[in-house]
Amino acid sequence: MALRTWLAAHAPVAIGYSGGVDSAYLAVAARTALGSSGVLAIIGRSPSYPDAQWASARAVARDFDVPVLELDTAELEDPRYAANPSNRCYFCKTELWSKLVPVALARGFSTVADGTNADDLADWRPGAQAAREHRVRSPLADLGFSKQHIRDASRRLGIPTWQQPSSPCLSSRLPYGTEVTRERLHQVERAEAALRELGIAGDLRVRYHEDLARVELCADELTRWLEPALHAALREALLATGFRRVAIDLRGFRSGSLNVLHGVGA
Amino acid sequence: MTEPGRGDRTGRNAAALAVAISQLGVECVLEARGGLVLLLPVATSVEKLQDQNTRRAVLALARQHGFTHVALEMPDERRDDGATGDDASVLRD
Repeated sequence: MALRTWLAAHAPVAIGYSGGVDSAYLAVAARTALGSSGVLAIIGRSPSYPDAQWASARAVARDFDVPVLELDTAELEDPRYAANPSNRCYFCKTELWSKLVPVALARGFSTVADGTNADDLADWRPGAQAAREHRVRSPLADLGFSKQHIRDASRRLGIPTWQQPSSPCLSSRLPYGTEVTRERLHQVERAEAALRELGIAGDLRVRYHEDLARVELCADELTRWLEPALHAALREALLATGFRRVAIDLRGFRSGSLNVLHGVGA
Repeated sequence: MTEPGRGDRTGRNAAALAVAISQLGVECVLEARGGLVLLLPVATSVEKLQDQNTRRAVLALARQHGFTHVALEMPDERRDDGATGDDASVLRD
């Protein structure tokens, strides 16, 4: 009810829409509360945005009749982003919002919102500063929606993303200081797709360490893939994407893993 | 290479970690890459690492020795670089 009230008070609302768990929920909630003329889900497309994620975003929008607009973003052309500093996300979101907000306003959308949730506030999120600078609102965070809350609500609404693993941009697989290039992003994307082809479910990251692919799996999959008989399949799948060495992280999936490696953030 | 009992400037001590892990019965070569340490185990040690308690113990030891991430390398059995041969306890740092 609180979200519906917020949306009604800020309509019409344009949403920075990736099709992830949070923005999909916000887009569907806004469509339900405001009708199709009261919401516009805007996708920023770039090499750091996985094709599979784009397809999922389009499918959710189609199934829930959420109007969608796509914009190309060019964060990789910004040398400050490509250098991959620990505040890389700031430059990405600056590029996104500097293109998205004027388009939204020109189309009559008085409010621009994103899918930031309450849990995100405790994490290292330099992109949040760019959102503030562009007056982008975060109703899910402001209203105290946790990730689990959003998953539960999405399930009730029948949004398929309710059980979708979190899906940050592909650049998050590269350690800070490692230059972000189209080739590296494409390599990581192909590597993760190859592991999905092997049937790996749940949270999954292929962390890029130059010649080495470090694979982070959820707990169940980690136990399964530590079975030596399965090593060859996993290794061969990743060698085929250009890595020369393959390793499985013994702790498994960690959101913000590379932040920890570099001592960044919370 | 670092010597057991002495860390580098970051406090990481791969040599001491190698000794500590071997005392768990996990025989392997270690390769340090900043806060990440790679384990290149012999075959029997791979099986030991399937046990969650052993993994937890290895992770705890790694933290104690200054490492934030531990990963098990899956070597190419077709490659013969000696990494998992008789000198498996040799630290490669």
